[in-house]
Amino acid sequence: MSDAAPTPPQPQPDAYTQPFWDACQRQSLEAARCEDCGHCFLPPGPCCPQCWSAELSVCPLSGRGRVYSFGIYRRSYHPGLPAPYVVALVELEEGPRLVSNVVGCMPEDVRIDMPLRVRFEASGEFVLPRFEPAEEEGARR
Amino acid sequence: MSRRAVIAGVGHTAFGKLPERTSWDLEVEAARAAVADACMSPSEIDGLLTDPGPVQGVLDGITPHFLRLGAQLGLNPNYTGSEILGGAGSVAIVERAALAVEAGLCDACLCVYGDSALSAGSAYTYGRGDESAFGFFGAVGLHALAAQRHIHTYGTRPEHFGEVVVAARAHGVRTPHAQKRRAISMDDYLVSDPVVEPLRRLDCCLVSDGAAAVLVTTEERAADLPCPAISLLGHAQAHSLSTYASPDHFESLPAAHCGPKALAQAGITASDIDVAMLYDCFTIVVLLQLEDYGFCKKGESGSFVEGGRIGPGGTLPVNPSGGLLAEGYGGGMLHVIEAVRQLRGDAGARQVPDAELALVSGHGLGMNTHATLVLGRNV
Repeated sequence: MSDAAPTPPQPQPDAYTQPFWDACQRQSLEAARCEDCGHCFLPPGPCCPQCWSAELSVCPLSGRGRVYSFGIYRRSYHPGLPAPYVVALVELEEGPRLVSNVVGCMPEDVRIDMPLRVRFEASGEFVLPRFEPAEEEGARR
Repeated sequence: MSRRAVIAGVGHTAFGKLPERTSWDLEVEAARAAVADACMSPSEIDGLLTDPGPVQGVLDGITPHFLRLGAQLGLNPNYTGSEILGGAGSVAIVERAALAVEAGLCDACLCVYGDSALSAGSAYTYGRGDESAFGFFGAVGLHALAAQRHIHTYGTRPEHFGEVVVAARAHGVRTPHAQKRRAISMDDYLVSDPVVEPLRRLDCCLVSDGAAAVLVTTEERAADLPCPAISLLGHAQAHSLSTYASPDHFESLPAAHCGPKALAQAGITASDIDVAMLYDCFTIVVLLQLEDYGFCKKGESGSFVEGGRIGPGGTLPVNPSGGLLAEGYGGGMLHVIEAVRQLRGDAGARQVPDAELALVSGHGLGMNTHATLVLGRNV
């Protein structure tokens, strides 16, 4: 193999989202938290989208969530991302929703409300928070 | 007689693949056609609003679209601008033109949509910011999330999505200028290639080169014109900009807010509508609008569209020109034009009998923007 696989599209962090991607490098998932109203949100930005306060801190996330909705890509949009793959809108247990992938199972087995846990995977220079099926909350303890 | 705004003229180009044409010269053709249709003179045009379409507007960033077209048309208008609201842009500029005319900012405002999305290629496969790292691309991937929710929540079947495009293509057969004039069967739909499941290729609208224009003027000026003027009876916009953070973003459209408002302003309900010109970038968007505008109950759009109800001769003809799924991608301006033709009684083989009230919608970007017009025959 002389040709390396093309690098998939890379995130383009800005001053507000850089800490999120830095945390992913440490295998940690975090959102922004409003110090005034307690709202936990993604993506991080200059103010709280709920109360517009600029007093923000970090909200550590458990990495557990559920499939809110998903699509199975049957065609490839980028040479670095061969089809099929699943893009899901993941609802994290702390509240924010995050676009990501469901990995570790067949695309056909993905279901809405399926419990998930984060799985960090390298992609080019970045570490992406992808998600894999997890056991039900009740069965975990 | 008053400064009440009416639509006095409509015009459009061919739609389809037109590689020898630029969006700019297509827009000029549509603009000339709309003014000629109204039997008005270019010297009367003192307003220009434009919707630059997906390639010029969304992908190239903010371009002075109105300036380029206005320069070619030799206009020094009293009111101008471009609106970038994705697929809600055309409907929104017609609304804005009506408000500008009624406020006295201008007397005759030309509203122009144009784009060369087909010749430019890949208009709808753009990455969605950081989310493209996860392979989240294009409008289809986004609308697949809404379709999946509808299937999950209401048990909507593939055949329900299929009914929408089978109806659109049946309408297209009767539309001489439609880009797709061949009817399709439910079997054609069911074997159509999946793109982003649950959406198939046939769930997705066409991509087109073309331009379309509408001329808005005062009722007083239109009284002297040969074509019947079409009145704007109600209008409203609503937008969902918080996207994922909004709990029901993929469950219902902002139409649920601006639809009842526009209908109430017109003094009617959804059941009074004779022709529904619903923005149809994807079949799921038609299903959601049937619910959110109140043509049926929430969750019941699947059974509502069964049996050809929105097709030719159905009890609620949706997009009798074929819409984005058959007529061509006209950014929503072709929807306005078809409503005008239906209300004029000027729609030929596809005329809906006794059409007096039409609803027109525009929907755009990441399911973020929505605009509604209620149009009526000027009586």
